[in-house]
Amino acid sequence: MYIENVLQQLILPCLYSLIASIAFGVQFNIKLRHMIMAGIGGTLTQFIFLAFELSGTAEMLCYFFSAAAVSMYSEIMARRLHVPVNMYLVVGIIPLVPGGYIYNTMITLIGGDVESFSHQFAETVGIAGSIAMGVFAVSALVRLTRIIMKKAI
Amino acid sequence: MTAKELLQITSRIGSMLIEYGAEIYRVEDSINRIAAAYGFSGGNNHIEVFAIPTSLIITVNEGDDAPITQTRRIINRGTNLDRVDKLNNLSRFICTEKPEADVIKKHLDEISKRKVYGYPVQIISYAIVGSTFALFFGGGIPDAVAAGIISILVLLVSKMVNKVKPSVFFQSVVCSIAASSIAVIISRIGLTDGFDKVIIGVSMNLVPGITLTNCMRDFIAGDFLAGMYTLIEALLVAVGMAVGAASAIALFTAI
Repeated sequence: MYIENVLQQLILPCLYSLIASIAFGVQFNIKLRHMIMAGIGGTLTQFIFLAFELSGTAEMLCYFFSAAAVSMYSEIMARRLHVPVNMYLVVGIIPLVPGGYIYNTMITLIGGDVESFSHQFAETVGIAGSIAMGVFAVSALVRLTRIIMKKAI
Repeated sequence: MTAKELLQITSRIGSMLIEYGAEIYRVEDSINRIAAAYGFSGGNNHIEVFAIPTSLIITVNEGDDAPITQTRRIINRGTNLDRVDKLNNLSRFICTEKPEADVIKKHLDEISKRKVYGYPVQIISYAIVGSTFALFFGGGIPDAVAAGIISILVLLVSKMVNKVKPSVFFQSVVCSIAASSIAVIISRIGLTDGFDKVIIGVSMNLVPGITLTNCMRDFIAGDFLAGMYTLIEALLVAVGMAVGAASAIALFTAI
């Protein structure tokens, strides 16, 4: 029973995001080696998201932390392998796209229920904002450390 | 390297970078670095770059000569991060080795001929993305199969629409209408339980991923003009997807 829960809630979503983000690399014409590394980044993102979510953190914070994690992963990998950062970032961030929320926003809009529409809309915008903030925070940190390192040398 | 050669090479590298989906600050940065490697970094010899996602302006000043300028209008933008990576390596190579103009031109020709993924691979990847995301958002096996097949159709539709060179909004509306109407019809026939998971899965193929990440990275780098442009483009695609799906659902559930 317990193992089944873990499988359902943790392992399967991570597996799906691994496969999906590797396949997504084709759309950006990334070569196979980088595609697999970027896919691992996508899985890592999803794992961190689920770990925070299952421990009961507020949803927006889950998105913030996992976006920060994927940003950190892609900055590190990009420095290591000398590739552009967005090659890893673009694939890694795909599993975070809140497809369900966007869809629900649209459905409530068609349904004409203004109250639940504005609720859903605010939630979607908040999630998009927290993903952006997660990426912003890490990138700003990385830029700052690079400037400081340059001055120290 | 003469000023004219430098102008030709930097404008070609810059326009290729923009066309293949690099961030705008990377374009300006690469051109400035290349120019600095050949001594165009300040004083009498210097270079000025202005890049936005739709055009590129470069001016080279050499000594007391009249400055020379080239403008490039960028019309077709795609995504090819492999070529961006190779262009990045090339500009790093230029900065350290300072090769002649002919050598650089040969490298650029090679990069613009690099292989892209063929049709079969694209079809497989669209199908995999559609079906795994249908499962990811909580669908069952029938949803995944339907999403995979519809994703392939969406790829074909988007290739067809691409031939008339549409705006991003129009393209996403058409793709989304096609995907959602097939999904709704399949669920009305009774092959899948509902159409929501299928539509979400298929729509993930249309998410403007590179536009969004470039937008964020340009904002961080302080290039707000480019950031605003890509932000509006991404919003238009998202709104187009919503409009397409909403109209298809409203139409086919009413019938």
